Amino acid sequence: MIKLKNVTKYYPSALGNQYIFKNLNFEIPGGHNIAILGSNGAGKSTLFRMLAGSEYPNKGEIITDLHLSWPVALATGIHPQMTGAENARFIGMVNGVADLDLYVRRVRQFAELGPKFDLPVNTYSSGMKPRLAFACSIGIDFDIYLIDEVTSVGDAKFRKKARESLTQKSKSANVIMVSHEMDELRHFCDSAIVLHQGELTFYNDLEQGIAHYQAL
Amino acid sequence: MTTVLKRNNWAIWRDVIFALFVREIRTSFNDRLGLAWAVLQPLSFIFMLSYMRGRMDGGDTHTIPTFEFMMYGMLLVQLFLETLTSCSGAIKKNKALFAFRQVQPISSVLAAALFNLLIKLAVFILIFVIMYFLKMDFKLDDPLFVIINILTLWIFAVSLALMFAIAQCYIPEISKIQSVLSRPMFFISAVFFSMQDVPKEYWPYLDWNPILHAIELTRHAAYGTYSAEAVSELFLFSSALVALFFSICIYHISWKQAISR
Repeated sequence: MIKLKNVTKYYPSALGNQYIFKNLNFEIPGGHNIAILGSNGAGKSTLFRMLAGSEYPNKGEIITDLHLSWPVALATGIHPQMTGAENARFIGMVNGVADLDLYVRRVRQFAELGPKFDLPVNTYSSGMKPRLAFACSIGIDFDIYLIDEVTSVGDAKFRKKARESLTQKSKSANVIMVSHEMDELRHFCDSAIVLHQGELTFYNDLEQGIAHYQAL
Repeated sequence: MTTVLKRNNWAIWRDVIFALFVREIRTSFNDRLGLAWAVLQPLSFIFMLSYMRGRMDGGDTHTIPTFEFMMYGMLLVQLFLETLTSCSGAIKKNKALFAFRQVQPISSVLAAALFNLLIKLAVFILIFVIMYFLKMDFKLDDPLFVIINILTLWIFAVSLALMFAIAQCYIPEISKIQSVLSRPMFFISAVFFSMQDVPKEYWPYLDWNPILHAIELTRHAAYGTYSAEAVSELFLFSSALVALFFSICIYHISWKQAISR
């Protein structure tokens, strides 16, 4: 369970503060695989980043005792001048992985980048970077994975593999996902949170949430 | 599957700073010259400047060999300037890494700070080794005091840099102002002159500068005969302490908002 207490979040801009959330109180229930639905600019990514502790609300707090992943987006935390192996090692070190060598080997196996794994990331093609990012996160055991549209990149083979491993994971852990592809969401999630005008609504049934979202 | 350690806060800090430190080493020296450049660049400068001044005063500057006179000035001012630039840019540079909740802005500043200190210490030691093999005579009357001066100047630089780094998150233009402000530091910090060259009535115009104090005091510590009349350790230590205090205060109240913008 993740508790949002009195969360206010805004971004300063030339037109004054742009409020995303105002005094939001909400409980994200545990034990669900949740899809976050919302139109562009509704604050999905902001919510995500606040849950992950990458950003902090201007007021209020977010309380949880769960082990959340970082927001796994296209290339979070990956340095273009370091090799894939070095990046994986860095991420492992920061997250406190006990056996780094084993972890790097596992990422190497999963990402399937071949010899490119030992070359700097700036030599990678645009589809390969998200593969590395995804492999790094799936290699660590979290209670909740925050996945931001990563499963929809890469070639068909990798997508299949990512799907399988994420489905495997969702037995012992949960996912919170942002995606605009409903098929993707239907595959992983069982419930939904609709984000509209700074308000969150939880739907126990994913289809119900999707119907509401599409009616907005 | 992968075991994740439950670490206490200190262990997290240690691991993160170490990881950032390794990353810094890995990405800073990416060209062919690599680490050698960190040594060659100040060394060539020192040789050039000490040669020029040595021609004028016959190899001895106020009882210190001119080479060492320049060496302390050069290395200390570079320690200050480079630490200031790289630490104050550290928060912005590593912004993407704050996606990991374990990585806090101060860790990236500290990693950059440690990295700069180690490089300069390595350069110091290397230059001493070179001097030994060239059979140049050198003295270290009070090595402890030399070390304390270097560390104090380093703390002062890191504290200033932390304040600049936070300010940059709010007002990006600060980085330009900072580079304008730090440029003259090279020329007014007694790098290639001594306070003894300056008439007493002009001392107040230069005396406010803690870097100058650090440089003159270090020369005095290495050669007891070199007069450090114009400078005081109390001023150096207290400016470092005050800067450290304020920078930590500012950091403490503003770091969460600084990375959330």
